[in-house]
Formats: sequence, structure tokens, C-alpha cells
Amino acid sequence: MGATASQLGKDVLSEYQELTFLTKQEILLAHKRFTELQSRDSRGNLNPRVPTETILTLPELKSNPFRDRICRVFSTSESKDGLTFEDFLDLLSAFSDSATLEIKSHYAFRIFDFDDDGTLDENDLKKLVNCLTGETDDTRLTPDEMTQLIRNILEESDIDKDGTVNLSEFQHVISRSPDFVSSFKIVL
Amino acid sequence: MTSQLQRQGSAAAVQGTGYTGDQGLPRLRRAPSSQSYQNGPQFNWSPASAGREKAEEGAVEPPKSLRSLPIPMALKRAICQVQQMHVPVLSSLQSWKRSKAKSLSRVRSYIGGFLNYITLWRKSLNKIGGNFGGGVQSYFLFLRFLVVLNFLSFMLIAGFVLIPSIVFRSVASGPMNITGPAECLQYDPNPQGLVKFHNYFLDLLTGTGFMESSYLFYGYYNNTMVAGSDFSYNIPLAYLFTAIFYFAFCLLCITARMGTAFRVAVATGGGAIGSYSRIVFTGWDFGCLGDRAMKLKQKNIIYQLQVDLEEERIKNKAATLTLGQKIFLYSLRIFLSLVAFGLIIAAFFSIFAATNFSQGKTGEVGVLGLFFEYLPSIVITAGNFVVPLLCDQIALLERYDPSITVIVALLRSVFLRMVSLSVLLFTLWNQITCKQRVSAEDCTLCHYNYKSYPCWETRVGQEMYKLALFDLIITIAMLVLVEFPRRMVVDGSSSKLAQWVGRQEFQVPANVLGLVYGQTVVWTGALFCPLLPVINTLKFVIVFYCKKITLFYNCRPATKTFRSTWATAFFLLVLLFGWSLGLLVLIYSMAQIHPSMSCGPFRSLISMWTIVPNSFYNLSQTSQDFLFYLGSQRFSIPLFLFFSVVMCYFIALASVHGKSVNLLKTQLKLEARDKQFLVKQIEELSRTLGVAR
Repeated sequence: MGATASQLGKDVLSEYQELTFLTKQEILLAHKRFTELQSRDSRGNLNPRVPTETILTLPELKSNPFRDRICRVFSTSESKDGLTFEDFLDLLSAFSDSATLEIKSHYAFRIFDFDDDGTLDENDLKKLVNCLTGETDDTRLTPDEMTQLIRNILEESDIDKDGTVNLSEFQHVISRSPDFVSSFKIVL
Repeated sequence: MTSQLQRQGSAAAVQGTGYTGDQGLPRLRRAPSSQSYQNGPQFNWSPASAGREKAEEGAVEPPKSLRSLPIPMALKRAICQVQQMHVPVLSSLQSWKRSKAKSLSRVRSYIGGFLNYITLWRKSLNKIGGNFGGGVQSYFLFLRFLVVLNFLSFMLIAGFVLIPSIVFRSVASGPMNITGPAECLQYDPNPQGLVKFHNYFLDLLTGTGFMESSYLFYGYYNNTMVAGSDFSYNIPLAYLFTAIFYFAFCLLCITARMGTAFRVAVATGGGAIGSYSRIVFTGWDFGCLGDRAMKLKQKNIIYQLQVDLEEERIKNKAATLTLGQKIFLYSLRIFLSLVAFGLIIAAFFSIFAATNFSQGKTGEVGVLGLFFEYLPSIVITAGNFVVPLLCDQIALLERYDPSITVIVALLRSVFLRMVSLSVLLFTLWNQITCKQRVSAEDCTLCHYNYKSYPCWETRVGQEMYKLALFDLIITIAMLVLVEFPRRMVVDGSSSKLAQWVGRQEFQVPANVLGLVYGQTVVWTGALFCPLLPVINTLKFVIVFYCKKITLFYNCRPATKTFRSTWATAFFLLVLLFGWSLGLLVLIYSMAQIHPSMSCGPFRSLISMWTIVPNSFYNLSQTSQDFLFYLGSQRFSIPLFLFFSVVMCYFIALASVHGKSVNLLKTQLKLEARDKQFLVKQIEELSRTLGVAR
């Protein structure tokens, strides 16, 4: 496969360009960074899958509190562990400058959906808030504050009042906060 | 074969999570989903057919629709292959269209990559955004916008005024005959005799001496008119029109940018959706780099959440405030805003006094002279520095909501900055036209004060040049003398006081207002000092690097995050205020004041505008008629009607969109209710079935 070769073939490259929001330079840079990660473990593998721990050594992901979720969402393996080069490109494409609001909000929803059940319920929101504020005791919100916050969030965003935030409700909120496109961004 | 297996496996994995492709594809809902579970090998055809469906509808841009599908790469590739198999069915026209679109998109991506490559400060901006968040980045984006705007303005001025002036100065004969009293014609900026070296330095700072007799200032331009058989160039006319087009160009750029900002701000619907969901869902900046930035970001978010929750509790409490407490609070607020207003008035008065004083002491030389020259700039900068600080403290006492506090503080400083500049100009104008002066006979001879201001336009230009330069000097001095030492003291010592003071925060609103002020000075002075835009370009480039250095070395990220959406629009609005101030000055000096008789391109005219009618009547009859027609009611009324119709159409469109948004919202509610109802029914049914068994 092209991913193991030190350089990407021309047609593979143009195909990647068509299937992602990345420019040629970005794809080449991504490939370079990915092969650097790869060289540390299995190189001769036919379809190299770099384990999550190795991916997370990237400085762009290292300090992100959602790093494990991001890798999980973009992984196509059955055990949800590790990314192939194409998964990696999918990730960068969704986080790129030119990706649409729709695709960004879709992936954001999946990242925030900690139990992968398709809706954001109270537990997901709690985990999300804890990720945002940090896990240590002195940074966490008090239980009172947490319940008040989650009640407020559901009051604002849960349009159909079923106690959870689903994808369309989530996208509704996102579409009204334009800062999202600029903040949901990872550039290599 | 392996890749095929891989593809199916990955597709199955995706299906397993409950996120089938059809969540992103409303069209797919029609397809029976059970089918996809029954025929395992075939299920990845269903998104494929959807892709094909899409491709047939919008054959122009199939790659885009593929890209925007939230599915893994392997699936996308499969869809793509199916599409390619589909190609022979297309007519030759369609396939031609498709290949055309493909090559077009390739060219576009190439150009995009190139533009990306030449974009100014791209890497720095990315780094700033990564470390300090979008709010601070928006400041630097604004700065870059102003740099580009100034540079383009300079190109405009250079192309139409500067280069023709240089070229024709050598070609054309001396200035045209000027008639007028001999006293009015005395003007000689060139210094006599030997000039000491340090005087060059002083001249550089004040714009006098060798600077005065250069293309920098109005006075040096000639009223050359080159008229050949097939070519004619009229420097005064070019000068005037360039100034007007410069303003129009700036307005266009600001409006275009403001349109984008407002569109975004309006699309978000203001406060339609509460802040909590926004903070939680969109608060994380995924571009954050490094542990330090992450910790700070987390601290910001928790601070913001706690403040908002606290505020809500306070609001609930405020609703139960007694009458006496309310009266006390409101009277406190009124009193404090009066105090703030008084401070601003005091600042105006001191600027007024300083300008009068400095203009009275023009005869002084040396360092003292320099001090008097710079006195108005010093007073303005000091006022702009001290008064907002005091206003901020006052705003803390007033106990408004945090969001209102920011706006109030901003409005006060905007007011101060703009009006202090106008006070300076007003004072200058009064002295030039001898209003409020006992010895008014100074002005009767030449219609302006020829004794103190033999070339008043240059004098105003020098004043603006000094303001712009002083602003830059202050920025650099603050960096070297205040910000670096503060950081060293704070980092070096462990005393309580130093820890309490802490590193400085990067205040986005205050910094943006500084930029707006600098740009307003440029607009005000552009007519009198045509090269001010290029000086400002250099100045802003230096400011960019200074601010970047201070940001990375001396600042901690703000504890209160700064939402950029409304602020961007608001800052552009303030910039527009500055622009209107500049325009006012332009119109007044073009139409009202008699131009200097001893210098400049308009020396033989009653007012600068006179050049336009003069050259208008030199045009051929046809073009005169055409221009008259453009100005007549026969043309303007239909144009007005046409624009009204277009505007009505857009208003109607906007209201329809708003209605459909509401409709969709209710539909969403109804669907969810349906879903809940069905789920309940299923539960009941299964229970009864279970009971029956």
C-alpha cells in the first residue's frame, strides 16, 4: 500500500486531496509526521496501524483532554485502538481550516458522546465538563454547581425535552456559535 | 483482497457504534435500514447509492459532497469507485463538465495553496491562536487587516500622486503664476545655513526642516498640470480624487469585513441560546498547544462557568432586593458615571489648553522646543492612558453584570479617544481660521492665519505625523520600560505584592482601541501628509512584533476569556467612527478653509474643491452632458426605486428564513414527541405480549 512507501504516489495523493479537505502540502506533512511515528514500531506491516499511545505523543494531541476520545472516534479498527494513515487523514480533514461546520459538529458530537450511544445524556455532559475543567479536585466544580450547570445546559439545548441532547439539537447549538469553527481546529 | 476485507470490517465497525452514515444524510432515511443488516456484504452500497444520487444532482462538484460525509476514508473511496464505474453512463457533455470541474478544482486548490503560502504572518498567527486562544488571535488578525489596508492605500497614493509628482517635477516648468498679496506667498521651509547633526534627529521627530520640504507633506507638492496633445495630467485633481478614493476604498474594505462579522454575529442570533451550552460545547480550543496552555484554558473555562453560575445566583438575589438597596445602587451608579464623565471632560480641557500653549510656543528651539512640539501628543497619550484605568476602577464599583462592564468601559474609552482627537483638531482649526481671536486682522488678508501658519496644511500634517510617531514610541517604551521589568520583578521575587500584581494580561479591547486610534490619526492626516499610510504600515508592522514579543514573554492569558464574535463587529464599528471623523476633517478642509497660497497643489484656488468644477467645465460637451445626466433626477429616481425593490426582496427573504427556522424547530419538537410516543407504545406492546405469553 502507498502508506508504507516513503513517498506517496501521485494518484494516491490526488485521491486523498479529493476525499479530504486537506491541501497537498498538508497531506505530505501529515504523511511525514505519520511515518515518523511509525518508524518506532512495526514498519513492515502491510496496513500499518499505529497504536493510540504512539499517536498521542504528537504535541498537537498530547495535552488535549479529549485525546483518547478523538483517537477512538476516528479509529476504524474493531477494538477502537490505533489509527491507520487514512484514519489520521480523516482526523486532520475534520479538524482542518476548510472543513464544513456540519462535519465538524458531527465529529464533535461523537467525541463528546463518551458512551457511544448516539445522545449526550447527563453522564456524558458530566464527563465533558470534567474534561473541560480538569480532573483534579481543586479544579473540579462542586456537585451543586455541576447539577445547576447541567440543568441549565439541558434547559437551553434540549429542545424536545427528552432529557438528552441529540445530534440535531447539538448542531443547532453549534450553528449559533461561530467561534466553534475556529476553535475546533488542529493544524500540524 | 485484504483492503476489501478491511473496508468491510471498518464499515461494520462504524455501523456498530450506532453512527451509520445516514445520520449525516437525511435522504437515506427513506431506505429501509433493516435491509442493510440482512445483506451484510451489500450494506456499503447504500451510502454509495446516496453518493451517486448526490453526484447526479450536483454533477459539478462531486468531490465536495464526498468530502463532507462524516464516514471513514475507506468508505469514501468505495463510493468514489462506484461513482467512477458510473461514469460511462454519463453523456459526453456531463463527463466533460466533470473533468472540467476536476481540473478547475485542482487549479483552485493550487492557487489556494499559493495564497496560503504568501499570507502574511500565517505561522505566527497560528501559534498565537494556539497558545492564547481565538480572542487574542482576533486582535492580531485585525492588526494584519490594517497593515494590508494601509499598504494598499499607499499603493493607491503612490500610483496616482507620488510617482506622477516626482516624474512631472523634473519635466514641467516652474509653478504656475499665482496672484495674491505678497505677504501670503512667503513660505520657505528650507533651513538656512549649516544644520547641526542633532537637528536632523529633531527634524525627524517633529517633521520640520528637511522633512517639511519632502514628498511627505502637502506643502511640497506642486500645482503642475501637464497638458500634451494626447495626454494630460492634473496633479491637483489627482491629489483630490486620490484622497476621496482613498476614503471610499477604506470604507469599502471596512464594510466588506463588517458584513462578514455581522453576518456571523446575526446568524448566531445574539443571546437566543444561553451561554452555558456554548461554553461547554464549543469552549474547548482544540488548537491549544502544550500543557501550560491547556491548564490555563481549563482554568479559564472553570472560572467562566463559576462566574456565570455565581452571576445567576446574584441575579436571583437581585430580584429580591429591597427598595432602599435599589435606590442606593442606582444613585451610586449615577454618581460614578458622573465622575467618569467629569474625568473625560477634564482630559478634554487639558488637551485644549496644551494645544493652545504649544501653538503659542512655536518659536522655541532645541529640546525644549521639541517638548513643546510634542506637548499635545503627550497630553493625549497620558489622558488615554490614565483615564481608562480610572474608568475601569469605577466600573468595578458600579457592580454591573460583567458583560455590561466591558461594554461600558469600552464606550467610555472610545468616546475619550475620538473626542480628544477632535478637540485637538478643533483647537488647530480655530487658530488657523482666527476664530475666537481678538486680532482677527491676521486672517483678513489671506483668509487664514498666514503669520503663524504660512502653510497650514503642512502644519496639520506634522501634527498628525507627530501623533502617529508618538504612539509608536509609547508602544516601544512600554515594552522596554514597563512590561519587561514587570515580568522580571514578578518572576524573580516571591514577595506577596509582586505575586498579587502578577504578570500582565493581554487586554484585547484596549489594544484594539489603540489600533483604531492610530488608524483614525492616519485618516485625519492623510490629506495633509500623503505618505502617512506607508508610515503607518511600517508602524503597525513594528507594533505587531512588539505585541507578539510582549504576548509570549510577558503576558499570562486573560482570566476572563474574550468572545470575539460580537467584538469583531463592534471594533469595526468603532473603526467606522474613526473613519467618519477623518471624513469630516477631509470635507471641512476641502470645502471651507482657504488653501495656503504659498504652497501645495491648490495654491491658486479659493478652496480645494474648486478644482473639480474648473476641470469639469474643461471637459468635452458630451461628457459634461453625460455627467449631468448621472446627477439628474431622471437617473437617480429610477436607481433609487431599483435599490428599494432589491432591498425589499432581501428583507422578505430574511423574514422567510427566520420563519422557516422556527418551523423547523417546532418540527424537531414534534418528531421527538412522536419518537417518545412510539417508544412508549413499543414498551407497552412488548409488556402486554410478554404477559400474554
